Amino acid sequence: MEIRIALAGNPNCGKTTLFNALTGSDRFVGNWPGVTVEKKECRLKGHKDVIITDLPGIYSLSPYTLEEVITRNYLTEECPDAILNIVDGTNLERNLYLTTQLTELGIPVVVAVNMTDVVRKRGDEINTGLLSEKLGCEVVEISALKGMGINEASAAAIKAAVNKTPSIPRHRFCGCVEHAVARIEDAVSHNVPEERRRWYAVKIFERDDKVLEMLNIPADIKERIENYTAEAEKEKDDDSESIVTNERYIYIASIIKDCYKKKNKGKLTVSDKIDRIVTNRILALPVFAAVMFVVYYVSITTVGTWATDWANDGVFGEGWSLFGLYIPGVPVIAENILTAVNCADWLQSLIIDGIIGGVGAVLGFVPQMLVLFIFLAFLEACGYMARIAFVTDRIFRKFGLSGKSFIPMLIGTGCGVPGIMASRTIENERDRRMTIMTTTFIPCGAKLPIIAFIAGALFDNAGWVAVSAYFIGAAAIIVSGIMLKKTRMFAGDPAPFVMELPDYRMPTAGNILRSVWERGLSFIKKAGTVILLSTIVLWFLMGFGVENGSFGMVEEIDNSVLAKIGSGIAWIFAPLGWGDWKAAVAAVTGLIAKENIVATYGSLYHFAGEISENGNEIWGGFAAEFSALAGYSFLIFNLLCAPCFAAVGAIKREMNNPVYTAFAVTYQCVFAYAVSLAVYQFGLLFTGGVNVMGLIFAVAVTAFMIYMLVRPYKESDRFTRNVKVKT
Amino acid sequence: MMPLGFAGIGDENIIKKVGGNPETRKFLENLGFVAGEAVTVISENGGNVIVRIKGSRVAVSKETANKITV
Repeated sequence: MEIRIALAGNPNCGKTTLFNALTGSDRFVGNWPGVTVEKKECRLKGHKDVIITDLPGIYSLSPYTLEEVITRNYLTEECPDAILNIVDGTNLERNLYLTTQLTELGIPVVVAVNMTDVVRKRGDEINTGLLSEKLGCEVVEISALKGMGINEASAAAIKAAVNKTPSIPRHRFCGCVEHAVARIEDAVSHNVPEERRRWYAVKIFERDDKVLEMLNIPADIKERIENYTAEAEKEKDDDSESIVTNERYIYIASIIKDCYKKKNKGKLTVSDKIDRIVTNRILALPVFAAVMFVVYYVSITTVGTWATDWANDGVFGEGWSLFGLYIPGVPVIAENILTAVNCADWLQSLIIDGIIGGVGAVLGFVPQMLVLFIFLAFLEACGYMARIAFVTDRIFRKFGLSGKSFIPMLIGTGCGVPGIMASRTIENERDRRMTIMTTTFIPCGAKLPIIAFIAGALFDNAGWVAVSAYFIGAAAIIVSGIMLKKTRMFAGDPAPFVMELPDYRMPTAGNILRSVWERGLSFIKKAGTVILLSTIVLWFLMGFGVENGSFGMVEEIDNSVLAKIGSGIAWIFAPLGWGDWKAAVAAVTGLIAKENIVATYGSLYHFAGEISENGNEIWGGFAAEFSALAGYSFLIFNLLCAPCFAAVGAIKREMNNPVYTAFAVTYQCVFAYAVSLAVYQFGLLFTGGVNVMGLIFAVAVTAFMIYMLVRPYKESDRFTRNVKVKT
Repeated sequence: MMPLGFAGIGDENIIKKVGGNPETRKFLENLGFVAGEAVTVISENGGNVIVRIKGSRVAVSKETANKITV
């Protein structure tokens, strides 16, 4: 028989660390509340029949954010065989609040007090025997990070699951509440299973919407219950929910007094001292700007450029030298081998021009992405991430988003998919939808190749191109935020900002490498699958066509099937300055995966005959066909338009509403088109080549955007936070 | 009696009342913001504050901080 054990606990208390230690998996562990937004299951090491479930962190069983709903639904509806409740030993009081609720669920609970090594180091003491007695469940001491006591914890949880003895909560509320709860239990006794009667009764007493909706209690009983609750409320002069909350805290305070001996009280910790500096009024923004500058400047220019040059010109170019040893590039090696085995010309062309030209153009940027991923993983793991949300909240609020929207965007600079998923920590549904819509405006890792490609081909590798790409992304978010807030769909104030800030921690090298490896691997996998496939398809489309009245392999690429298709849609982009069929094809392939744009150009120019003397051959070809202005407009369009398939899929999942999904993707495309149009047409005006029709449209588009930006806000008539998610 | 946002940095205050809309209030209570609890402001930034409550560090925006009376 299979045993299912769920890991539950407050955010950031070490659930994922313990999950990794117990199951041998390698999920990345961040240091901010909300890293885990999905449940994840894995088998316990050495026990084939035990399944461990990692759940998003929760503060209580009254959910506030989307990922908390996931956890509560799992615990109450899928009823795991046992709950392993991880409790942060350094912050026992707050963590036990959840424990008092978990023990009411009628499921066996084992409490694992985590970070006991830190507790001891501080000179504090926890009396686990007494704690176990007071809570009504077994208590074990562990350190998930050091791997201490974790086997004992899992063994205790298995034992509890096998014995099937539900934990009996020892805490009792005050007389009048107990009286009401007991009478509610009686009233609903036939609707709910016996072992959960107390849990349901307490929730009904708290008037929990979801529980009331689920139980569907007849109106007459409901009225009786309401009377019981009202009686208790009258006696305590407070609303029922606050009464229960208070009672729990009072009980916990009494436990803490007996079980926890604290050595030093109320002293400022190192993290507090760091926070005094990095979040204070004067230094907060400069520190934030400096951190952002270092992260992106280093990964885009200095180290990043060095890595890209090595990969593009060396590994996927002519060759490179390793400590004096000359290693030829991949295309050179491939060509030598293929020539040696007398490979057919067309196959040689497919492999070298199509596949290596296309996939190689993408893989060449992987080292640069890895540099960026290292920085992002460090930011996530050290604890500064949560502070960024706090510091930026003030600014984001001005254009209708909350600071919590910044975290998805920052993660989105690595990859849009986890970025969009990270939006689950945002409480307010409107804010969340707006964040999902705008997150992918920020250049993700896959857009780096496009930026580097345009900068290299047209702007002599100027650093400002990359900088401007991030600014355009940020500006697009701000402008969209303001415009969308003024529509009826999104009107209303963002939810108030409340967020727990974890202690700062020095990230371990292993944890950072784990994240970099995971994210890097997904790019490499994509290059080996989606991009490989599209380059093969493209190669055929550009290799064949009608020439001299008959269908076959073409001499002139302009006669190919691809050219015909491209020309069919190219007129759409003509007002943006790039009505050329190659650019149109590249932009469309970019919707599959953004790197594909560079891969497409790689294949196209390789195919055109000038097999690379060096990797920059593609740049030359591109520069010959594009003016700087048109190239920049091409860049803007591809940065802002609908993201890749994978990200659109993520948008669809997170929106969970076809209308909003369609609106998001349409908005992104139209917005991208409008901005590119305006930039190109106004650019033409300044460079002296006016196109009257184009300019009229550009003026109209700009005027509309300005109108949307300055018109007054609509008052929101409803404040809803409707949380729905498929798990 | 004053809003939490006015409390001096480093001073320990006792929460008198938690206001605001029911949902936010519920969340604040779950985090430990209940009447009678001690709260200390660690850092302040344009009205937004970072406070220590029940042994943990919580960031609270200006609007919310002003609805918590100490």
